[in-house]
Parts: sequence; structure tokens; C-alpha cells
Amino acid sequence: MPVLTADRVEEMLRRGTSARLPENGPPRFRRGERVVARNINPVTHTRVPRYLRGRVGTIERCHGVFIFPDAHAHDGTKEPQQLYSVRFEAAELWGPDAPVATDAVYVDLFEPYLAPAP
Amino acid sequence: MSAGQHDHDAPLPETVLRVKALESLLVEKGLVDPAALDVLIDTYETKVGPRNGARVVARAWADPAYRRRLLEDASAAIADMGFCGRQGEDMVVVENTDRVHNMVVCTLCSCYPWPVLGLPPVWYKSAPYRARAVADPRGVLAEFGVTLGDDVEIRVWDSTAEVRYLVLPQRPADTDGWSEERLAELVTRDSMIGVGLPARPPQAA
Amino acid sequence: MNGAHDLGGMHGFGPIEAEPDEPVFHAEWERRAFALTLAMGAHGAWNIDMSRYARERMAPGAYLATSYYEHWLHGLELLLVEKGFLTRQEIDRRMAEIAAQEAQEA
Repeated sequence: MPVLTADRVEEMLRRGTSARLPENGPPRFRRGERVVARNINPVTHTRVPRYLRGRVGTIERCHGVFIFPDAHAHDGTKEPQQLYSVRFEAAELWGPDAPVATDAVYVDLFEPYLAPAP
Repeated sequence: MSAGQHDHDAPLPETVLRVKALESLLVEKGLVDPAALDVLIDTYETKVGPRNGARVVARAWADPAYRRRLLEDASAAIADMGFCGRQGEDMVVVENTDRVHNMVVCTLCSCYPWPVLGLPPVWYKSAPYRARAVADPRGVLAEFGVTLGDDVEIRVWDSTAEVRYLVLPQRPADTDGWSEERLAELVTRDSMIGVGLPARPPQAA
Repeated sequence: MNGAHDLGGMHGFGPIEAEPDEPVFHAEWERRAFALTLAMGAHGAWNIDMSRYARERMAPGAYLATSYYEHWLHGLELLLVEKGFLTRQEIDRRMAEIAAQEAQEA
């Protein structure tokens, strides 16, 4: 790609680079469904934080299909994956040391990071 | 200076030299246009900032139809006001109510809705906030001078993907009939991140 | 990767220390690091996920001891070298040249 010149900066910033991709089939999980964040530990790039792995949450919403960052960081592949907002209760994340058990954390997680809760 | 913090006035000794070397080499090789660098800097230093988000919030407070659109399709509603683009292509607005208070963080890096809030403050990008927001949000709020009742649920949104979050704070009392411009003045950046509340109208004498 | 960047729930970092009315950039080198990163990203040689991974690969001790734009600088330099835009030798040589020039001017 050519060098970014001053006159093209504004347009580049305004256009942005959305990671959204066209819908490619029904999502695997539905709102209200209980899921567990898988205990994956790749040495490569991933966006499932350690504090969630093995923790059970509830699907809050389906954001739609986006570029899967794990593959995109690895070799530039634009792999479409469903992205969900998942709700985790503080007690589930932090156990008896949760300052307020009923506060919650909502995290955006891709379908490959999730499995049905046991 | 507490453990884990780094004084940003004192980077590693060779940092300044390293940046100069990279810029010098990249310009020399024709890979960057110095004029483009200036536009990038100027855009985020002077043109794009939280006053954008304040206008979005003020409009939502003043116009119930806009508020509904904002909650249903934030990207479109925010773009309608001319704010769009990099690090804000896919927006979600989360609304504070009497029962729910929202707070936004990016534990993994510093994801932040640039078109409506500009670039994030240092504290948002630093370890103390990123570590504690998801584990002790009320402790974090207390540091910012905010205390919420036990009957309020706190929701912390960890921006782990490309969706960007903006908090819609509650409209302060005693602002009936205020213009959007006047309402926008009450909207603080911290209230749109969720670590603060909007300013209140000055009490009548 | 399980790097130091994955901070959710970690203890021991102390108070948040928000600076009132802080400027967007605290030093000229921060402005340049920011702009260089965006300008070079525009070439399309890497994507934002590669950028993040490059920053994550900073040694954990270094990541925790340095500031935000130092993370960006580390990531940018790593990508520039990995993608073949610059070599480490070129960078080291230019740093030495600039240092010598500045010492002379002092």
C-alpha cells in the first residue's frame, strides 16, 4: 500500500477498520444460555483473559460475526466467528473473596472460546 | 510511586533516542510522510475528544427517541452525529439506571471508544485500573469519589474484542428544559467511562 | 498468550492515581510513537491483532515496569523488523549516530 499522506489521514480515520463480517449462519449459543470459558492457553494471541478460563457465565447477547483475532494475529486470516457478550457473576470469578458477590463482569468472547456449561 | 506504576516523565533511557531513530529511518526510506504524522497527532490532541461523547449523551437525555436509537444501534446513532471511525466502528451504549451502574475497562490492553472519547487517559491504560476494575469495581469507584448503594448492581464491561462501549449516565436532577448544549456541559469523561457521575447543576442561591 | 498484559484480577498495583486534566500526550516522543505506529500500520503489512500480539510479547518484567507508549514502541519495532521494513543493525546504528550528533551539539 502507498505511504499514508497528510491529505488521506482524515478519511482513513473516519472510515476506520471494522472487524465485523457478514453473518454466516446461526450462532451456536442463545441469550440466557449458560456457557463455560474454555481453559485454553495458547502461546499465540488470544482474547480470552485468564481470569475467565473455566468460569461459567450466561450469554447476554450475540454481537454478530467478527474477525477472529487468534487467527488474524497469526497469519492475517479473516476467519469469521460469532462474538458474544457473556455475563459472569463476581462470586463465580473470585469465589468467597468477591467484594460484592452479585456485581457482574460482561466480557466479549468468541464462540471458539466457549463451550456449553456442564 | 506505587509498585507497578511507571513515571511517564522518565521513560527508559534509550526510549527517546529509539523513537528518533525509527522516525529518522522511516522518513528517509519514504515509508512515512512527516506531514501525515502531524495530522495524526493534531487530530487526537485537539480535534477528537470527550466533548463528542458529551453531545451524544446530552442528546439522549433531551430526546427520548434518540435515546432509544442509541440503545438499539449505537454505531448508527453516534454516526448520525458525525462521530465514527477508528476504534469506534462497532459501538454499544450501556445505560445507567437507579438499579444498574456500568463501568468500562480493557483488562488486556487499552481498548476505548476513540471517536466519542478521544484517546484514553493514562490511568485507564495502566495496571492498577486494568487489574482492579473487574475484581473490585466498588473499590475503584471509591477512589474516584463515588459510592453506590447495595441495591445497585455494578456491571463491568471488559472490552476484549472490537466492540467499544460508552456509558450513558443518568440525567442529573433539576435540569428540566435545559438545552442540549447546557446539558452537555454536565457530562464528564469519567461518567462516560463509568468511574464517575455527571456534574450536578449549581444550587440556586 | 499468558503474558503480563493479562492483568484482570492481579493484586499489588496500588492506587489508580488519576492525573486531573491530563494532557493527551506527556512528551514529544509519545506523540511520535503514536503517530509512527498508525502511519506504518496503514501500509497493511500487519493488522491490529498482530500489533497487540507484538506488544504482548514484551518480557513480563519489562512490560510491568514501562509506560503505555513504551509498550507501543516495543511492538512497533518488533513488527518493523519481523516484516522486513528495518533491521536491528540499522536501528542501532542510527541510534548511535543521533546520540553522537547530540553529544557534539551539547
